[in-house]
Amino acid sequence: MSAAPPPVVALVGRPNAGKSSLYNLLTGGHAKVGNFPGVTVDVLQADVGLPGGERLRCVDLPGVYTVVGAPDPESDEGYARRFLDDLQAKGAPHLVAQVLDATHLALGLKLTLELRGRGVPLAVVVTQHDVLERQGQAVDAAVLSAKLGVPVLTTSARDKGAAPKVLEFLGEAARHAKAPPTDALDAQAVATKALVTRAEGKAAAHAARRRTERLDAVLLHPVLGPVLFLGLMVLLFGAVFLVADPVTWAIDGALGALGKSLEAALGPGLFTSLLVDGVLGGAGTVLIFLPQIVVLTVVMELIDASGYLARGSFLVDRLLSVAGLGGRSFVPLLTAHACAVPAITSARIIRDPGQRLRTILVLPLMTCSARIPTFGLLIAAFFSGSSALARGALFVGLYFAGIASGLVASLVLGRTVKRTAHALPLVLELPPYRRPQARVMARLGWRAATRFVKDVGSVILVVAVILWALLTVPGPGHAEAKAAAPPGASEKVVALHGSVAAFVGRALEPLTRPAGFDWRMNIGLIASFGARELMVGTLGIIFGLEGDEEDPAPLAEKLREAQAPDGRKAYGVPTALALMAFFVIACQCMSTVAAVRRETRSWRWAGFLLAYTYGAAYLLAVLVYQGASRLG
Amino acid sequence: MKMSRMSRLPPSSLAALSPGQSATITALALSEREAGWLRAVGLGEGVGVTVLRRAPFGGPLHVRTGGGAELAVDRKLACHLTVAS
Ligand SMILES: Nc1nc2c(ncn2[C@@H]2O[C@H](COP(=O)(O)OP(=O)(O)OP(=O)(O)O)[C@@H](O)[C@H]2O)c(=O)[nH]1
Ligand SMILES: [Mg+2]
Repeated sequence: MSAAPPPVVALVGRPNAGKSSLYNLLTGGHAKVGNFPGVTVDVLQADVGLPGGERLRCVDLPGVYTVVGAPDPESDEGYARRFLDDLQAKGAPHLVAQVLDATHLALGLKLTLELRGRGVPLAVVVTQHDVLERQGQAVDAAVLSAKLGVPVLTTSARDKGAAPKVLEFLGEAARHAKAPPTDALDAQAVATKALVTRAEGKAAAHAARRRTERLDAVLLHPVLGPVLFLGLMVLLFGAVFLVADPVTWAIDGALGALGKSLEAALGPGLFTSLLVDGVLGGAGTVLIFLPQIVVLTVVMELIDASGYLARGSFLVDRLLSVAGLGGRSFVPLLTAHACAVPAITSARIIRDPGQRLRTILVLPLMTCSARIPTFGLLIAAFFSGSSALARGALFVGLYFAGIASGLVASLVLGRTVKRTAHALPLVLELPPYRRPQARVMARLGWRAATRFVKDVGSVILVVAVILWALLTVPGPGHAEAKAAAPPGASEKVVALHGSVAAFVGRALEPLTRPAGFDWRMNIGLIASFGARELMVGTLGIIFGLEGDEEDPAPLAEKLREAQAPDGRKAYGVPTALALMAFFVIACQCMSTVAAVRRETRSWRWAGFLLAYTYGAAYLLAVLVYQGASRLG
Repeated sequence: MKMSRMSRLPPSSLAALSPGQSATITALALSEREAGWLRAVGLGEGVGVTVLRRAPFGGPLHVRTGGGAELAVDRKLACHLTVAS
């Protein structure tokens, strides 16, 4: 006989109440926490053991404002409500633990009264009590418990030592689970009874409110606000370039030196080539962009934890609604600058179905971190003559090009693909500003780094090795192809020109020549169909195989000096700009396509995304290449 | 005479309040589903509201409720919230 599953403790509460914080405290988990209503959009669960040996299954849910009436099933609230309804329908033993923000007691109690009406065992955890105390107030748990007829505990989710107390409370409540009373109560009256204000309380609460007011007066100022917003975006993307770029090329130099000494130690041969060209040149070239990933993660967390996200939504709502999106699209759009996959899921916070679909379809146009290696490499290769500031400006410009193309795409989609008569208007809570915790930022930066290293060390490494093989194994017609290799080329270079991959790349040249891409770029584009990072990985392998073994130059330099069959330089600024344009638009990411299919429940939209981004990317690349070549 | 002039004015909406002005919500001229959600968020009948600022170019309003919650509210939606001072 298998043991029965442990009783479920579902953390229910208004958005931004602190459910995920409490979940992390209890389970030691890593649920995403943020100072914005609607951070959690999916159901998360983990089992925890109690001191007595019993177990509880903790469930973190998206926030809900109400549990009566029919929610939009595709929204974050809909996901939470469906989970609760299923739980109740199955009749499995469970406890609803309401997470109630102490600083908004009356609002939270309205939900408590609704939850009491469901007839399911209920307990209330009043969290953020530390914040309330700093404002000179307190919640009397005994009074509240007596009024409501359900167990009540006050705590702070930021207090590491509070976990055993909360677990014991929840275990006790689950053990003695019984349906709560349903006598009619008034939320405001109960809140007034339970809230204790110390003599100096009024002044402290006032001071806390003044702080947020003063910040809002500047950050939401009609003129200064939008200017600061734009400045912040420039700073975010600029920091990624200016802070991380020098570190990246330092790591690149170190990897180059490592390759050289490996070659010296092992001597020439297939195995050495696999190690140096395949592993170091392929996966290693992607890995050097680790600093950018970390800086991006940390700065994004700063914006997220401070409470600025909701302000950003307020500021850009009007602009976004002109493009057929809305204030609630802002958080997915910003998140997509790290990675489109979680951003597509977080589009569940958008209340309007048409807006949600349009947001999902343009999210892949935002410049995700996987594009950074290609942009970084191209800037280093073809703009090294410009100042660091100019290169930074180009980098930031690429981000804004992504945003602009997203707005244009949404505008076009709104007129053609999916019209909504009138979009559901914005209502969004603006949380108080909070000081970001350095510990949390450091942990997130570290986790982003380890995840990136793991990705590069697994999937990308495997694909790099396969690519290396395809670039080494002779392909059909390799005799003539080899003849095309530059005269006096080494054996390795001749083999490369006759390889399977070169054959495929060359076959595509008629299609890509108008955009300035030759067979080497084409191989990169094919390899990066599933994941963009593989562009620089592929170029790393190709130019590693092509390169001079005696004096290995950095990839950026090899790219700059690369030769066409006629002996002229193969690429210049026009090619670089065209490739950048292609990467701004094309959805070269299978995880994104899968996420779109999951959220829209249709392959049609996923296929449409691929078709429209690749089509537009190709056209733009041709346009940019032709234009830039004419201009010289 | 002032009283009678006041009572002849049409009921005003949240969108008509200028920054700094306070009023109480008296009715939600919306579908039952939308109104239910707004009540749950904290913008129901009887709630005191103060407009703190308006976003430029016809953007949303920044509103504080009597309970101390702060919300961004779309200006068109605010037209459907009837208020009385
Ligand atoms: N000082 C303090 N801050 C807290 C506490 N609990 C949560 N917070 C902060 O409140 C904000 C919201 O916390 P979350 O845990 O993300 O809230 P949530 O209920 O999961 O929010 P959604 O997923 O958006 O519904 C974050 O900035 C937290 O750091 C607490 O007990 N004390
Ligand atoms: Mg959460």
